[in-house]
Amino acid sequence: MSELVVLGLKLGFLALLWLFILFTGNVIRTDLFGRKVPAAELVAQPASGAAPAPNQPRLSRRALKQLPHTLTVTHGKQAGLQLPLEGGVLIGRSSDCQLLLDDDYVSTRHARITLSAGGYQVEDLGSTNGTFVNNQRLTQPTPFGPGDTLRIGRTLMIVEK
Amino acid sequence: MSDVVGYRRRRGVEAFMLIFAIALGLGGYVLIHLNRDAELPAQWPWAVAALTGIGLVVHIVVRWRLPYADPLILPLVMLLNGLGLAMIHRLDLGTDPVMHSAELQLMWLVIAAAACCLLIIFLRDYRVLQRYTYTMFLAGMALLLLPLVPGLGLEKNGARIWIHLGNYSFQPAELAKLVLSIAFASYLVDKREVLALAGGRVLGIDLPRPRDLGPILVMWLVSLAVLVFQKDLGTSLLFFGLFVMMLYVATEKPSWPILGTLLFVLGAYLGYLFFGHVQVRVSSWLDPFSNYDQNYQVINAQFGIAFGGAFGTGWGLGRPNLTPLAKTDFIAAAIGEELGVAGLLAVMLLYGLIVARGLRASLVARDPFGKLLAAGIAFVFAIQVFAILGGVTRLLPLTGLTTPFMSQGGSSLIANWVTVGLLLIVTHQVRRPVADQSFEPQQWLEAETTQLIPVGAGAGSPRPGASTGSASSGVGSEETAPITPITPISPDEGGDEPTEVVQLPGGRP
Repeated sequence: MSELVVLGLKLGFLALLWLFILFTGNVIRTDLFGRKVPAAELVAQPASGAAPAPNQPRLSRRALKQLPHTLTVTHGKQAGLQLPLEGGVLIGRSSDCQLLLDDDYVSTRHARITLSAGGYQVEDLGSTNGTFVNNQRLTQPTPFGPGDTLRIGRTLMIVEK
Repeated sequence: MSDVVGYRRRRGVEAFMLIFAIALGLGGYVLIHLNRDAELPAQWPWAVAALTGIGLVVHIVVRWRLPYADPLILPLVMLLNGLGLAMIHRLDLGTDPVMHSAELQLMWLVIAAAACCLLIIFLRDYRVLQRYTYTMFLAGMALLLLPLVPGLGLEKNGARIWIHLGNYSFQPAELAKLVLSIAFASYLVDKREVLALAGGRVLGIDLPRPRDLGPILVMWLVSLAVLVFQKDLGTSLLFFGLFVMMLYVATEKPSWPILGTLLFVLGAYLGYLFFGHVQVRVSSWLDPFSNYDQNYQVINAQFGIAFGGAFGTGWGLGRPNLTPLAKTDFIAAAIGEELGVAGLLAVMLLYGLIVARGLRASLVARDPFGKLLAAGIAFVFAIQVFAILGGVTRLLPLTGLTTPFMSQGGSSLIANWVTVGLLLIVTHQVRRPVADQSFEPQQWLEAETTQLIPVGAGAGSPRPGASTGSASSGVGSEETAPITPITPISPDEGGDEPTEVVQLPGGRP
């Protein structure tokens, strides 16, 4: 190939390389400020429930339908709060909990609701003040279904279909 | 809480930039053959299919699992990989029996991209990693010190940073980078307040308490051990620098980087005094021409970059093969020779942009663990690229680090792709529009109960301060209550019912 073509290709390649960087800059510029989303659009999405329990057992579609799917706070500061169960909820005051309880008697990671083969279970995660199902303090993972009352600190919760 | 701020998905932008990046990598590959033989390479359809396939699969996985992930990280990484592959292929052609390490590297790229995809598919929420602080810490340390195990470690080119498993050799430190950034991030989330607040003030600098110095001293000693026994300057610098920078990010105290720099200078000086391999590196940095044979590699890299000039010799027209280890440590010198300073600066800028995207994710992150993790990953890349490119261009003493994504080598490629996978996961969680869960401080105060003061200590009086004290502390701090081994009080025993509420002056009416 002639020298001139080689030079042209060389400079052309470098120009494209820098054009890529300019494009990147432009994407960053248009991405600087987020977009405002009305909060109402987000209701369908669980607050931070992207991660279901790691060892979620596979249940048949039918069995899943019969399970409760909402956790409702009935007493306490956050009474009325509803949360989809979706395979598991971590309850506590740490930011990685799906249900962040505003309650002085709740530990950082207090309790966990998990989906097992027989339905939902509650498990205490070594909390200070304990986790209670129907006023029985938990010592082991305990089944938890509609009709049971879960108490953590001064907050009462039930599950509903 | 009427509006929340979120980011657009921008997957279309990612697809476009990805195609652009792959086209640039392939363009380099085609130009090599055009410049050398004036014809298209015989296997060009395969190269196009392979790179496009990798890009397509990763893009689809990201689109499926992480729709809000940062749109720029993947194209930047693919471009660096494409340029690296083309340059390795070019160096293959330069050897007399033509080597085929670019094909092998392409295979490693497939494995690395697959590892990244698997991580993205199986770990969507990075926050679960926060639970394994000390396990991660121990695993990282073990990986870092694994090459010292007799029989397993392997000494290559003067540094003992390899282990061999069967026919393959592997650099465990590459994986340790990722594991230790996770460990540091979750450790600092727990401890940042005590590290930031406790301690005295000397000469206007807040010094931490002596007992809080434990972790930084452990890291310093491990880094020194790596320097002394593995003879690897780069790894040692990388891990200590990473830890110090993350401490700074977590505590916002300038005393940490100052202390870290002092410790580093002390360690480096001791290393220089006592170890020959450090002295060799320093002399080849400050005065390479004093010993031409010993500093042959560094000198040749300088000649190569000088030969390239501003715009380079063009793909395939330089002589980068003269530099030993041009495919691994000195691939940046090869780029500098054939693409010139313009190309080398562009490559540096690409790394800078990856770092900037990581820091951006860190700024936007709502939870401290995400903040620290993204910052840590960004710093790993920043320190590593600074150290190796600084070494190649003789800004710093040469450290035997790999150039991320470009250097030949499977373990580095896999570790870096997995790191990028984790960064993508963090950016997805961070950029997703989520109703803001963190309370404003004002709301916190209003929601908090007035301090309970027990009057007439009954059978199980509540511990004073235990109820309200921990409520206002941030998410990062551990609860104070579990430390006291008093029998837990449950409301059934009438224990934690507030006996009497005493209004404090200035409290709520």
